[in-house]
Amino acid sequence: MADATSLFTLYESAAGYALFEVVAMEEITGNQDTLTDINRFGRAVKLKAFHPFASASEALENANAVSEHAMSDTLKEFLQINMPKPKKSSKTASVALGVIDPGLATAISSGTNFTCRSDETIREICRGSRLHLEQMVKGLQGSSTKAQLGLGHAYSRSKVKFNPARSDNMII
Amino acid sequence: GRGGMKGGAKVIVEPHRHEGVFVARGKEDALVTLNSTPGIAVYGEKRISVEVPPKDGETVAQKVEYRVWNPFRSKLAAAVLGGVDNIWIAPGSKVLYIGAAAGTSVSHVSDIVGPQGAVYAVEFSHRPGRDLLSMAKQRTNVIPIIEDARHPLKYRMLIGMVDTVFADVAQPDQARIVALNSHYFLKNGGHAVIAVKASCIDSTASPEAVFAREVQKLQAENFKPLEQLTLEPYERDHAVVIAEYRPNKKK
Repeated sequence: MADATSLFTLYESAAGYALFEVVAMEEITGNQDTLTDINRFGRAVKLKAFHPFASASEALENANAVSEHAMSDTLKEFLQINMPKPKKSSKTASVALGVIDPGLATAISSGTNFTCRSDETIREICRGSRLHLEQMVKGLQGSSTKAQLGLGHAYSRSKVKFNPARSDNMII
Repeated sequence: GRGGMKGGAKVIVEPHRHEGVFVARGKEDALVTLNSTPGIAVYGEKRISVEVPPKDGETVAQKVEYRVWNPFRSKLAAAVLGGVDNIWIAPGSKVLYIGAAAGTSVSHVSDIVGPQGAVYAVEFSHRPGRDLLSMAKQRTNVIPIIEDARHPLKYRMLIGMVDTVFADVAQPDQARIVALNSHYFLKNGGHAVIAVKASCIDSTASPEAVFAREVQKLQAENFKPLEQLTLEPYERDHAVVIAEYRPNKKK
């Protein structure tokens, strides 16, 4: 891995999009304690930006896009505002964006000029983000379950509603 | 109807060994959970109302309602009555429930985890999914997810980190489904509680051989098996398998 590459990771939550910057990669790899301990995780991974969804419909629109590996306009704008611009001069990428879903990673790299990666390391960082998100984003404490509840109902209702003819014999 | 357990005021409700689960002792004993929506039955189950003596500062005796949890309808209830050591679901727990169906069993898990807990209930089939949705409307600690549990990334925005994954999907690749979901959502040192129906996985092998193979599959995915319990006499050729995910080495 190129040392000059700085790594960012995208985390998608019911409350909004979060962008993290990995500042101490050597702390993360192969060390589970860094991921579970909020103090150590917070030293290795910094919250760079958070875009809270403005409405239930914006949240649903983005949840639908994310589940279909698609980059919504909201996400594209969020990344373009908050990701550092890749340097044009260098031959290798100076900035990489970690995305948990390989399908979404492909969609982002073809829709923007960011270099994306999706691998085991990114998955582990996302486990840490999932565990600590509430403590790392100001104002989110205690409200993320509420956001999940609202979005869970909206997402599931639309599934049941818009696929009336779908066969019912998959998983019981 | 409110017959059965009611007959006379002689029903006493005691806490079960598992926190959040109770036993109603009347003419016959019954497993019950504290109804979080008093006055409402989810699927026609019996309800038992009990008076509790007034606490400090109260003058009137309060009424508390419980719902009967039938071990012939819920594999988790069968495991509790079968004497399982720990169900890893207690007040305050966050639970990912895979194979939620119409939500009958989920509603009891919702009672157990209470207002501080949460149940992420995943069901792919739309017909039971509709019942699940209407049950979840009454119970605000149930997050309904109508989606395919084989593709956990599709619903990653709806879920936080959980303490326990419960699975009852009767699919041949159940262990893989549990592992896949655990890699994303189950915390280190969290637990998987899986109801295994032997005939759904391999109808030619003996149930014992099938259970042993499921345990092996979990071990290969960073689970440490803790317990295995047959669900006789409530279910034939079923077992519940319990394992710890990414166990803490320090203990």
